[in-house]
Amino acid sequence: MAKKSDLLPGTLDMLILKTLARAPLHGYGIALSIKRLSDDVLTVEEGSLYPALQRLLLQGWVKAEWKMTETNRRARFYTLTAAGRKQLGVELSQFEQMIAAIGRVLRDAQEA
Amino acid sequence: MNPIGRFQKKLSILFGRKQFRSDLDEEMAFHREQAEQELIAGGMAPQAARYAAMRRFGNTMRIQERTLETVGFRFEGWIGDLRYAARQLWANPGFTAVMLLTLALSIGANSAIFSVIDGVLLKTLPYSRSDRLVRLFLSDSSYPKFPLNPFDFRDYRARNQSFESMAVFTRGDVQLSGSGEPVKLNGFGITSGYFHVLGLQPELGREFDQKAEIPGNGLQVILSDRLWRTQFGSDPAIIGRRVTLNMQPFTVIGVMPKGTEHPGNEYHAVSYGESVDVWWPFSFAGDPNRRGSHFVEGIARLKDNVSVEQARAEMNAIMTQLGREHPNYDAGWTVLVTPLYTEIVGKSRQMLLVLLGAVGIVLLIACANAANLLLARASARQRELAVRLAMGAPRSRLMRQLLTESLLISLMGGAMGLALAFGGVRALVTLLPADFPRARDIHVSGSVFAFTFLVSVITGILFGMAPALQAARLDPRQGLQKAGRTTTASGHQSRLRNALVISEVSLACVLLIGAGLMLRSFLNQLQLDPGFQREHVLTASISLPHEQYKTNATTGHFYDQLVNDLSALPGVESAGAGSDLPWTGWDENAGGFNIEGKKPAPNQEFHARYHMATPGYFKALGVPLLSGRFFDEGDTDASLPVILINRAMAERYWPGENVVGRRMTFEDTPKEKDWMTIVGVVGDIKDQPNSPGAEPAFWWPELLAANSDMSVVMRSSANPELLADALRNEVRRLNPALAVADVQVMDRIVETSVSTPRFAFVLVGMFAGLAILLAAIGTYGVIAYSVSQRTAEFGLRMALGAQQGEVLRLVLVQAIKLTLVGAALGVAASLALARVLKTLIFNVSPADPTTYAVVSLVVICVALVACYIPAYRATQADPMNALRAE
Repeated sequence: MAKKSDLLPGTLDMLILKTLARAPLHGYGIALSIKRLSDDVLTVEEGSLYPALQRLLLQGWVKAEWKMTETNRRARFYTLTAAGRKQLGVELSQFEQMIAAIGRVLRDAQEA
Repeated sequence: MNPIGRFQKKLSILFGRKQFRSDLDEEMAFHREQAEQELIAGGMAPQAARYAAMRRFGNTMRIQERTLETVGFRFEGWIGDLRYAARQLWANPGFTAVMLLTLALSIGANSAIFSVIDGVLLKTLPYSRSDRLVRLFLSDSSYPKFPLNPFDFRDYRARNQSFESMAVFTRGDVQLSGSGEPVKLNGFGITSGYFHVLGLQPELGREFDQKAEIPGNGLQVILSDRLWRTQFGSDPAIIGRRVTLNMQPFTVIGVMPKGTEHPGNEYHAVSYGESVDVWWPFSFAGDPNRRGSHFVEGIARLKDNVSVEQARAEMNAIMTQLGREHPNYDAGWTVLVTPLYTEIVGKSRQMLLVLLGAVGIVLLIACANAANLLLARASARQRELAVRLAMGAPRSRLMRQLLTESLLISLMGGAMGLALAFGGVRALVTLLPADFPRARDIHVSGSVFAFTFLVSVITGILFGMAPALQAARLDPRQGLQKAGRTTTASGHQSRLRNALVISEVSLACVLLIGAGLMLRSFLNQLQLDPGFQREHVLTASISLPHEQYKTNATTGHFYDQLVNDLSALPGVESAGAGSDLPWTGWDENAGGFNIEGKKPAPNQEFHARYHMATPGYFKALGVPLLSGRFFDEGDTDASLPVILINRAMAERYWPGENVVGRRMTFEDTPKEKDWMTIVGVVGDIKDQPNSPGAEPAFWWPELLAANSDMSVVMRSSANPELLADALRNEVRRLNPALAVADVQVMDRIVETSVSTPRFAFVLVGMFAGLAILLAAIGTYGVIAYSVSQRTAEFGLRMALGAQQGEVLRLVLVQAIKLTLVGAALGVAASLALARVLKTLIFNVSPADPTTYAVVSLVVICVALVACYIPAYRATQADPMNALRAE
C-alpha cells in the first residue's frame, strides 16, 4: 500500500476513456490494457480504478452492463458514451497542450 | 452530464445500496480471480497465486469505502458516523447515563436561566422605540431619588427642548361600586399625553387632554382592557358611560388595549406589568408658588437626536432657573434622567448576570467531567482505535468519529436539558421575588431553543476535543501491543486528567463560596430585628371615598369607631390603623418644618417621613415605646397638636437630649396652636429590612390629621387569618359600600421582603450543589481510573509487605493533592470574583473568612469521600493476581 499511483495526477480518467475508446472492457481488462500498452510502466491501482469508474459513470461518460466473458464468466463491462468521447477529446487536447508547454520549458532550459 | 442527472443517479444508488455493493463485490472478486489466473499461467502455485492476488489487490473494504464515497452524498458519511456513535453509546449504558444526566442538568439549568435573562433583559420593552423613554427624578444628598412637584413639572414641560413629550403619574387607588361588592382598583392619576409618551393608543376612545388637568374637570376615566372585560362585559358602547368611582360619577373616555404595561413606579409601587386597572386625570390644584410637596413621578420621551446626557444637562439648567425663581422650594436639587429600561430591570440585572455566571460555571464543570469520562473511555478503546488506524482509517476520520460521538451526547443532553428547562422555568417564575420586573415575559422562547442548541454544540466540541486530539496522537503499534500490562496512561494524559479535576474542584469551590455568602446574607436578613413583632398580625387596607367622608372629623371618626369595634372582638388583643405598613413602600416626604430652638444647616431642610396612626397602631404592630407615651383618645383636633417620633428622628435632630415635650411646626410664623408637641418616641423600622438605617419619621394622630387611606392592623391571640371575616363584617356593618383590600398576615409581608435574597441563595445553592456533585464524580473517576491502572503496582507493594493502610494512604494522598490545589485555586478565584456579589449580599464581607474556611473543608471532605471507594479497592488488590499478570 505504500506505493502510490505512478500516474500523473488527473490522467487516470483520460487513460480509462482512451482505453475504452478502442473496445468495451471490464475493470480488470482496463488495468491490464493500460499496464501492457505502457510496457509495465503505468500501473493502475485498484483502489483508484473502481472509484474512478464510478465517477465516470456518474458523469455519464461511460455506461456499464453485465456481460459474459469469453471464458463464460459474468463481468461488468464499461462502454464509452458519446459524451465520454467528447470529454476524451477535451482531455486529450488539454493534455497535449500541457506536454507541449512542459517540452518548451525543458528545451529552453537545455539551450540556456 | 448536468447536476440534476448526477443527483438522480446518486439517489438511485443510495436506494439501491445493496445492489450496488453486491455488484461492486462481484466485480472485485472477478478482478482478483483474473489476476490469480494470470499468475498461475505465469507458473505460480495456485495457493501462492491466490495470496499474491489478494495482496496486490489491497484492502477490499477500503476500496469499497472509497468507491461509495465517490457516488454517495456527503451526509451519508455523517450518518454512518452517527450510527456507529449511537451503537457505542448503547453498548455502554452506565457511561451514557452519567454523561447524559450531568449534561442534561447543566444545560437545562443554563437554558432556564437564559429564559429569564431573555425575557427580562434581552426582550425590548413593549413600548414603541422604548430606548427613547426616560424616567425623571429629583436628587439631593439626603434624598438620592425623589419624586417631582407638579408645578415644577409644568415648568419643565413648558421650557424643555430635549423631550418630544413628557408626563407625570401618581398612584391613587379608587373604589368601584354600583354593582355587587365594592372593589378596590389599582389606579393612577396621569397628565395628558401620558400614553402618547409611552407610544400607546387607546383601543377605544381617546386619552386625556390638557383641559382635564384643570381642577374640577377630572371626572373622567380610562379603563384597562382587563377591567373592561371583567367588570363591564366588554361593552362596545362603554365610551361615554358613567361609572361610580369613590362614590362619584366618572365618564369613561377610553379603554386601553391588552398588553398595556405599567412602566413601574417607585412610591407606593405597583410592579411593572398589566397591573393598573384605571387611569384618572391628574389635576394641578393649589398654589403654583408653593412647591414643597413632591409626589408625582416623571416619564418622558427623548427627541431623536437628543442623548440622555444632553437631556440631563438641560433639565438641570431649568432646575437652576426654577431654584432662582422659587428659592424656598426649588434650590439645591439636581434632576436625574434615567433610561426606563435601566429603571425597570436595573436592580435585577446584577443578580441575573451572577446567576448566568453560576450556571456557566456548572456547565464548565460538566464539560470537564465529560472530557474526563471520555478520556478514560478512550484509553479503554485504544485498541479499537489502533485497529482502525492499522486498517487504514485516516486519523481525521477517527477524530471526526470521536467528535460525532461527543456531539451526539451533548445534543441528546441538550434536548433533555430543554425538556428540563420547560419545568425549570415554571418553577423559577414561582420562586421569583415578588417585585421582580417582567416576570410574565419569561418563557422558553425561540431564542432559548437557539441558545440551547448553540450551548450543546459548543459543549460537545469542548469536551470532545480532548479524546479527539489524543486519537490524533495515537500510535497504532503501541495500541495493538497485546502482551504485558494494559497500557498505562501516558504522562501527558494523566497531567491533562489531573488538570481537569483540579479545575472542576476549583470551580465548584467558587460556586460553593458564592452560595455560602448568599446563605449568610439570607440568614442575616432573617435574623434582623424588624422593629415590630411579625407574628399573629392581620392587616388590610381600606380607603374612604372623599364624597362620603369630606372632613377630617368624619374620616377620623370612622377609623376610631372601626378600631374600637375590632378591639372588642374576641381573640383580638389590640387593633389600630396607620397610613402605612412596614416594608410595603413609603413616601419620601415632609420637608421644611421648623424645630423650636434649632436652625437647619444652610441649603438643608429638616426632613422626616410623616404618617398617621390611631392610638392602638403601635401596640398592634408590636412597635416599642422608648419614652413618653403613645397617642390616646384625647389626641384630637380639638386638643393641642401632638406627634410621636421615631428614635432616628430623635437622634438626628435632638442628639443626646430628652425629646418629650419638644416642639416643631410647619408654619414659618407659627402661632401657639401651630406648634406640635412630641409626646413620645417609638422604635425604628427601616424602609426595607436591609436598608442601612431607619429614616427619621413622625406620626400624627389620625383624629387630628385624618388620612382616608389607612391600613388596619389587628393582633390576634391565635391564628390571625381567622379574623379576616370578622374584619369584613365590622367594615360592612359601618358602611356596606366600602371595599376591604390587601387582607394578609404580617408574616407574609415579611416573607416577601426577603424573597430576593432567598431567590438568589436557593438558585446559587442549587447550582453549587450540582457543581460539587459533578466535581465529586470527576474526582472519583480519575482516582478510580488511576487505581485500576496501578492495580499491579499495589499488588506488588502488598506482596512485598506493604500494609493496607499504606496503600490506602498512597491513593488518598494523590486525591488530597489534587483537591488542595483545586480548593486553593477556587479560594483565590473567589476572592477576585466575590466583588460582583457585593450588591447582592447583606452584612457579609465578600471575603468572609468563615464561609471560605467552611467551604474549603466541605470540598476536601467531599473529595475524600469520593476517593475512598477506589482507594479501598486498591487495598483489596490480590498480590498473587497482580504478579501473575506480570
